Amino acid sequence: MSASLSHSSSAEPNLTPILDMVFQLITFFMLVINFKAASMDLDLKLPVIGSARPVDTQGQEDLLILNINSQGQLRVYGQLIPDISTYIANEATASLMVARQTNPNLKAGDELPSTVVIRADKSTAFAMLNRVISKCQEHGYRKFALKAMNKTEET
Amino acid sequence: MRRRKKRRSQGEVELNLAAMLDMAFQLLTFFILTFKPAPVEGQVLLRMPPPQPITNVNAGQKAGSDASNTNPVQGLNTLVITAIANPDGGLRQMAVGDATMGSVPALERKLSTVLGDPGSGFDQVIVQVDSRLRYDELMQIIDVCTRQKLPNGEVLSKLSFVELPAG
Repeated sequence: MSASLSHSSSAEPNLTPILDMVFQLITFFMLVINFKAASMDLDLKLPVIGSARPVDTQGQEDLLILNINSQGQLRVYGQLIPDISTYIANEATASLMVARQTNPNLKAGDELPSTVVIRADKSTAFAMLNRVISKCQEHGYRKFALKAMNKTEET
Repeated sequence: MRRRKKRRSQGEVELNLAAMLDMAFQLLTFFILTFKPAPVEGQVLLRMPPPQPITNVNAGQKAGSDASNTNPVQGLNTLVITAIANPDGGLRQMAVGDATMGSVPALERKLSTVLGDPGSGFDQVIVQVDSRLRYDELMQIIDVCTRQKLPNGEVLSKLSFVELPAG
């Protein structure tokens, strides 16, 4: 009597296509990951104005990004900055050193080529905002970019 | 005596892809979970020098030196806008020079007239802002200002702020 023997070789699916697809997805997510978002406090509610233009730094400008919440507190990379004056002074010194690489004649107090990017909550009182702007101006910053949402981007 | 060449085994070498797939799925899960698209933000670029005297600052100009100048505004290069806030931070009142403006559209019309006038010579604006004014209300004024064109065709970009005490 002969019993029918089941086929002993296991069925192995071809994993190569699925691996290809997964690697493509990983590549996509790695490319679109935005490290700049770390410098932005995404909890802030920016004001909405029509003339706000998308950011165009042309890849050559030194940016100082300052997040100011509704209480007027300064946050940089998620860290609360208790001493605004010292922080801006240190940043100005660093900006000056960077600027001296292209213009060695630049002195302390001269106009800095860096741009101060201000991301302030829409309910921030002007007194709080002006405190930061004045400190930046004292240390030679003249170029400012005030962040806002464009009306067309509002959802 | 001739030696015979050894034949290599013809058996296929199969990689175990399951481990690699596990790792790839873990990476994929990490990227999916941490993916948070940043909002598309705009910005208003301004050149903000510290506030300067608002009287005539044209270098070398002397009083009465230009007899043909019958326009007292000529020679001034700074326009002053004042913004007063409510106690809650809302915009209560605006003024361009001494002229009171009731709304943002009225301010825009006035600025368009004043800054676009070739005889006026204004090239920068100082905004006197109530310390209580909210940032979004201030941005409405900045929005109007940065949309204005000067007689030379350039967009107004020189703005300065002066803080007015509350009340």
